[in-house]
Amino acid sequence: MILLYIGAGLMVIGALCDLLAGIGMLRFKNFYLRLHAATVGTVGGAVVPLIGVALAALGMPSLPGRLAIAGASFITALIILLVAPAGSTALAYAAHRSGVEGNFHFDHLRGEER
Amino acid sequence: MRRLIFGIILIVIPFVVTYLYPISAPSSIHSLGEFYLKDSLTSVRSPEVVTSILWDYRGLDTIFETAVFFLAIMGGLAIFRELKLEYPSWEEFPLPVKVVTKVTAVLIVTVATSLALHGQLTPGGGFQGGSTLAVAPLLVIGAVSLASLRKIGITLERAVLVRILGLTGIVILALIPLALGGYAVQNQPYFPSEFLGTLLGGSLLWYNIFEFLAVGAGFTAVFLILAVAGGGRND
Repeated sequence: MILLYIGAGLMVIGALCDLLAGIGMLRFKNFYLRLHAATVGTVGGAVVPLIGVALAALGMPSLPGRLAIAGASFITALIILLVAPAGSTALAYAAHRSGVEGNFHFDHLRGEER
Repeated sequence: MRRLIFGIILIVIPFVVTYLYPISAPSSIHSLGEFYLKDSLTSVRSPEVVTSILWDYRGLDTIFETAVFFLAIMGGLAIFRELKLEYPSWEEFPLPVKVVTKVTAVLIVTVATSLALHGQLTPGGGFQGGSTLAVAPLLVIGAVSLASLRKIGITLERAVLVRILGLTGIVILALIPLALGGYAVQNQPYFPSEFLGTLLGGSLLWYNIFEFLAVGAGFTAVFLILAVAGGGRND
């Protein structure tokens, strides 16, 4: 039962992260900041609630196929956790290569102070 | 103001559609559908009705479909026959991207294989598995390079060869029952229906395997051509 409440809490946190990510996508000024919001949306808004789903499924003994649901959710969460940072790294790198401007303090890829 | 109205319409439409078309179970099943649902497990030996319709009840349709798809890809490759594929190596993404791409490619190949080999038991099958398989080389082309794809042995010639082998396998499978005195594309009783307690669906498993190879290799060949025909990535 306690697992169910923890899972539900994680799902609520995920929904909040998605909301914040959506607001961030609309309000942030340049590409790199929006990328930050997008990653909040994927890690906070997809990985966390998926772990929540897994815990909630484990906390409901009467649910048919709960182990399958929990396992699939955990693995999906793991894969997203692995892939999302790589995706945003690739996006940021490609954007930097094609000259998208951001308000950097220090540009490590070019190695110069702004 | 216009954006606000547009937004309200966008939010209201799903509710209206849901209200107008309530999702409910149909009160009766069409007699043909009922036949397939009841007959599939006993006569095709496969609980996955979609696959048994595709490769057994309507097997001839699927073979024609596969032939059309084969001709489409071969036609596409024929257009680019003058193109010399050179497998260039280009400036690569940072290390984390490359490592994650390689791990993901292995995962994709695993999932694709399981989709194809489980096609007679769970949703999936040869075409789905093959299209999933072809995503792995596409990811490697994008995130690493064509040169690394050749290093692990994936070349255009081999992809075309595997494609032709897959298609030949499908044709031979379709003709085996004919040679044994049955009809072309017949399934039972010419193929084993069970192995170690797992239902194989007779010929469904073998059709799925060859379709998996043919579709996966076909899409891989097209992706290889497109990666170069588009001019590659100019760094």
